[in-house]
Amino acid sequence: MNTLISLRSEILKTKRTASLYFTLIGAAVVPVVFLLNVLGDGLDSTKKDPLNAIFKLLADMNGLAFFPWFIILICTLLPQIEYRNNTWKQVFTSPQPKVNVLTAKFATIHLLMLLFLVSTHLFMFLAIVLANLVDPTLGLFKHSLNGQTVLINAANSYVTMLALCAIHFWLGIRFRNFIVPIAVGLALWLAGTLLVLEYKSSTAYYFPYSFQAISLSPKHQPHLNQVAWTSVGYAVLVLLLCFFDLRSRRMTT
Amino acid sequence: MSNTPIIKTTGLSYYYSKGAQTLFDINLQVEKGSIYGFLGPNGSGKTTTLSLLLGLLNNQKGDIEIFGQHLHQNRVDILKRIGSLVEAPSLYGHLTATENLELYRSVYGVPKGRVAEVLQIVGLEETGKKVVKRFSLGMKQRLSIALALLPNPELLILDEPSNGLDPAGIIELRELIKKLNKDQGMTIVISSHLLAEVEKMVSHVGIIFKGKMLFQGPLPELHSFQEKGSRIFIKTSDNETAYQLLQDHQPEIVGEAVSIAFSGIRQVAAVNRTLINHNLDVYLLHPKENDLEQLFIDLTTAQS
Repeated sequence: MNTLISLRSEILKTKRTASLYFTLIGAAVVPVVFLLNVLGDGLDSTKKDPLNAIFKLLADMNGLAFFPWFIILICTLLPQIEYRNNTWKQVFTSPQPKVNVLTAKFATIHLLMLLFLVSTHLFMFLAIVLANLVDPTLGLFKHSLNGQTVLINAANSYVTMLALCAIHFWLGIRFRNFIVPIAVGLALWLAGTLLVLEYKSSTAYYFPYSFQAISLSPKHQPHLNQVAWTSVGYAVLVLLLCFFDLRSRRMTT
Repeated sequence: MSNTPIIKTTGLSYYYSKGAQTLFDINLQVEKGSIYGFLGPNGSGKTTTLSLLLGLLNNQKGDIEIFGQHLHQNRVDILKRIGSLVEAPSLYGHLTATENLELYRSVYGVPKGRVAEVLQIVGLEETGKKVVKRFSLGMKQRLSIALALLPNPELLILDEPSNGLDPAGIIELRELIKKLNKDQGMTIVISSHLLAEVEKMVSHVGIIFKGKMLFQGPLPELHSFQEKGSRIFIKTSDNETAYQLLQDHQPEIVGEAVSIAFSGIRQVAAVNRTLINHNLDVYLLHPKENDLEQLFIDLTTAQS
């Protein structure tokens, strides 16, 4: 109950910030790019099951770049609300256990992550309907959508990104200067992606910044379950470290 | 006013880094129902002490008891009963005044109507949809005070609350503090580097300088210090003779005058009679009371 009160407070703080627009715009990028591509160049009609192929493409593009980057930015920007307004001290002089504050902030980020995933799929569906309206010969709805696969892909994206989310949540809370988490994110995301796609390295199974690319690599893909569990393990560990770090810090600004 | 201490610190010390001790053995005692003026020049350790009391800094040495409970074992329960304003306003610029208060309303578990009540108390009830970043510094400060009052606290801790307020705002704040103390029995700790600003409202005073408490007690006790420090300045046709005649009054030669310890207004007439009876012309006989501001400066400079 107390955590819910803290969560309500955290959600209220995002009112009139760009976080909601940022989430929806971020979620719309891939569907919009898809739609523009269809309108400009048409669609490869030789594919057997274009509807499910399009959703796979969406999952791959979002999973590799847009979703991880959305997480890195949102984890950095949300704690900035406290730094920019000089409000950490007010938060910690209010009668909330520190663990509740931390949980509520983390939950707010997860609500936005879930909103991103749900809205990007809805936008994609909308883009497909529009594409089919513009060119009914595409026959995009001749096949039924494999909802279970779409759901599994989305769930994999979410779970494999938990480690990265926890790391950037900690960095976002730890550093007043938002450039630090973004720079760390950029460098490690690039390194992690290269590890999987270019070097096909086995160390990628343990490197959280590689997890977004695992499902795209035929060599790594069979280990997706193991990576998902590793991601959960990292997330729990990093959140614990984040809590102890926050508890021991001077909250005077 | 009861004598139960609502805040009691024992041997409180604090280091920001090794070799840079900020607080030395602070034994603060704030009685229930009092208005405690916590005074000291900038950088003397006021905000550090208040941050420790509010749990913003981790206690390194010494003990803090608030409402008779140890702070670190009962942090949340204690904070429920405290309203605070530490240094600069701590508000969300993209939200309105009402939204800023609404954020903490459920955290403190206060009814919805309390938000409008505290906005009215600080005179911000008509700010409507204006977001806080468009407020003046004074308005932000008043909103911070409203936030501190939101839980209807038993203890109000205000760190330099008049920063950014205009003279009328300072007077309003003073009246508000007195009213809250008188009508609701609220215990108030108010820090400032200006004694003149708080001496009109406080019942108790603590003076801190370079991390050490120089004085702590009721305001009348500080006044008795003040009287002890007051002097009469005398200029006569023969200051040497006057100095000899006034040996019982701890005389001192100060420039072209003689100063003696002041013990009351009747003493002025007696001294005048003594001097005239010894054929001295009296040009100046000026009792100069050591005001609290001067005493504050004396106390703090004597230690530097």
